[in-house]
Amino acid sequence: MANQKKGTAMAAVGDFFKVIGGFFSSFGTAVAKGDLFVKLSLLWWGAGYVRRKQYIKALIMTALEAAVILFTIFFAMDYVPKFGSLGTIKAEKVFNPQTMKSEFNDYDHSFMILLFSLFSFVVWFTAIIVWIKNTINVYKLQLMEKQGEHINTFKEDLKTYIGEKFHITLLTLPVLGVIVFTLIPILLLIFVAFTNYDQQHTPPTELFTWVGFKNFVALFGGGGLTSTFGYSFIRVLAWTLVWALFSTFTTYIGGILLSLMLNSTKTRAPKFWRTLFVITIAVPQFVSLLLVRNFFADSGIVNTICANIGLTGFLRDAGMISTSYIPFLSAPGWAHVMIIIINIWIGVPYQMLIATGVLMNIPADQLESARVDGAKPFQIFVKITMPYMLFITGPALVTDFVKNINNFNVIYLLTQDVYTTTNQALANSQAKEVDLLVTWLFRLTQDYYNYKMASVIGIVVFVICAVFTLVAFNFMIQGDKEGTYQ
Amino acid sequence: MKTKKMKDNRLSRIILHNVGLGILAFIWLVPIIWLLCTSFSAGSGMNTSTFFPKEWSIKYYIKLFQPDTVSQFPQWFINTFVVACATCLISTMFVLMVAYATSIMRFPMRKPLMNMAVILNLFPGMLAMIAVYFVLKTFSLTNSYAGLIMVYSASSGLGYLIAKGFFDTVPRALCEAARIDGCSEARIFFQMVIPMSRPIVVYTVISSFLVPWMDFVYAKMILNAGVSAKFTVAIGLYKMLDKMLINDYFTQFCAGGVLVSIPISILFMIMQKFYVEGITGGAVKG
Repeated sequence: MANQKKGTAMAAVGDFFKVIGGFFSSFGTAVAKGDLFVKLSLLWWGAGYVRRKQYIKALIMTALEAAVILFTIFFAMDYVPKFGSLGTIKAEKVFNPQTMKSEFNDYDHSFMILLFSLFSFVVWFTAIIVWIKNTINVYKLQLMEKQGEHINTFKEDLKTYIGEKFHITLLTLPVLGVIVFTLIPILLLIFVAFTNYDQQHTPPTELFTWVGFKNFVALFGGGGLTSTFGYSFIRVLAWTLVWALFSTFTTYIGGILLSLMLNSTKTRAPKFWRTLFVITIAVPQFVSLLLVRNFFADSGIVNTICANIGLTGFLRDAGMISTSYIPFLSAPGWAHVMIIIINIWIGVPYQMLIATGVLMNIPADQLESARVDGAKPFQIFVKITMPYMLFITGPALVTDFVKNINNFNVIYLLTQDVYTTTNQALANSQAKEVDLLVTWLFRLTQDYYNYKMASVIGIVVFVICAVFTLVAFNFMIQGDKEGTYQ
Repeated sequence: MKTKKMKDNRLSRIILHNVGLGILAFIWLVPIIWLLCTSFSAGSGMNTSTFFPKEWSIKYYIKLFQPDTVSQFPQWFINTFVVACATCLISTMFVLMVAYATSIMRFPMRKPLMNMAVILNLFPGMLAMIAVYFVLKTFSLTNSYAGLIMVYSASSGLGYLIAKGFFDTVPRALCEAARIDGCSEARIFFQMVIPMSRPIVVYTVISSFLVPWMDFVYAKMILNAGVSAKFTVAIGLYKMLDKMLINDYFTQFCAGGVLVSIPISILFMIMQKFYVEGITGGAVKG
């Protein structure tokens, strides 16, 4: 894994441009050196194939071209021209004298305009690539004919898709799925971040429009005196980072320690013990977390026990709580600590599984020679086990950190409906002390329809994750230690 | 004399070690034990005074199979099962296809595509899902099987890295030999690589089957109409803990939780074995 990640930073960008550059230069040659039919196929996609007697291919390309043109005329033209304003005609009920009823006018739906314009852009972008690729292919056919090479029949062409072009067959559907269900939605919400799409501007009854960087300004502290988004953002961001740091490292270290314990020669029936720990994570999170939330509820079982053994009274006397119960998940501070502890409960067995797999591969001779030299178990752990673990699981640690920044389940299931904030400034921007950026984002969209701010937060989360990942990988790759353990 | 003392010493350390593990395991299992006990309680609400229920009964397990307006457990189970089967089929195909193409085959767009996947994975999934919800709503696919299945499986190709790590360990020479013998790529894929990669295929099948069972948030976004009969198990059980309902349904929630957890746990146990194999196979040889 480490090898592949190596490419992510600069090399990736270089690779990317190399591929793009090669693509355009071969297009240039094709246009410049192609014969009449190659040039003709710039206009009529099928032309070159007809000349080389590939009639079925010509038919397919012509149909495709027709489809793109029809799409542009009958679909895209309804939306794309309004992209600049996102619609101007508000929805109104108008009395129609012919039907004697009030009917909606032919109004503009800002969201549809945005969505379908974006969709049209993607279609056109794809069409341009197909167009360029098509010209290159046609030129290739011309060259092949000139050199007297065999030109594939349609059947032979199809066969290449399970042969040397099998990757196209394999990747088409998955890539299409990712484009439609991840790429387009992300682009869409990046656009929304620059609009005023919120509860007061919800289609179809209202229009929304472009506002530039206003939402970003609001998130970073601007946006007028009444806006508390800047304050909330700092608070939520700080907790998100603290949470990601603690949750990643506690579970990571805990997992390694637990797996060392389980794999020790002193353990009897290690499989049995392992199973017990794995049961905890085998139960779906919505069951186990919702349960734990009620376990630690203000009037829950743990509070009863604490009251019975006098812990509650003790803490009240010590001035740590002011209520008649311990607010495990309902007061700031307490909730923060509890969330991290509960996350240890749910995360350590997972890390233990991974650590077990990696630890089994530690070169046994290294451990043996260290022992012979009289190293203490603690020294072995610090000097051999941990560096080895870090080397193997370093990239995974980075991805874990990013995953924890986006760890929705733990926070949402533990605190939703239970935790209410008393901080007015946070409440004004619909945030809570225990929110991560993602749970805040979720609440903004689900309960308050504030899509513009949610999108801005989403972009910020991406930037944080991306910067962190790049820096971490570059840092890890710098000390090129690949050969160390091989 | 001395050896006996050392033996004693070692024995006591073994005992101490195992007792330590026992205590840890106990802490880890307390909530699960509580779940089991409460599910057999005779009262409907949360028992807050004692750890074990005062009276035992299986009343609420039976009630689980007598649907009312709130609880329609059998229907939820069927819903989730249908969605899970479809998701499993599509996701497994997508993941294995992408993994094979990026691992075994070489083509110019390989690196750029893989880097794109890395970048896309950095966006919070939630963000995309908010927009997906609108798209599905436009085509009135929310609150339907089809919508859920698409949400779970359409982008599953992005999760190809573990399977790729495993495919990377398939000896290149074998594939080369097959190619020289005139084997098409499709045949290498279906008749050579897939049969050789049983662990990772099993892992992918189980893990994608489990997604709809484990997922909570996407289902909550898509199934927003509040029609109980359309819920998945996760949403249905979550709704039982509503402030208005918790006193009547907490025991049923526990019973339902136990019933879903049993099959899922078994599948998970099988899967984790392959998970470790897949992870380490990929990490060491990557």
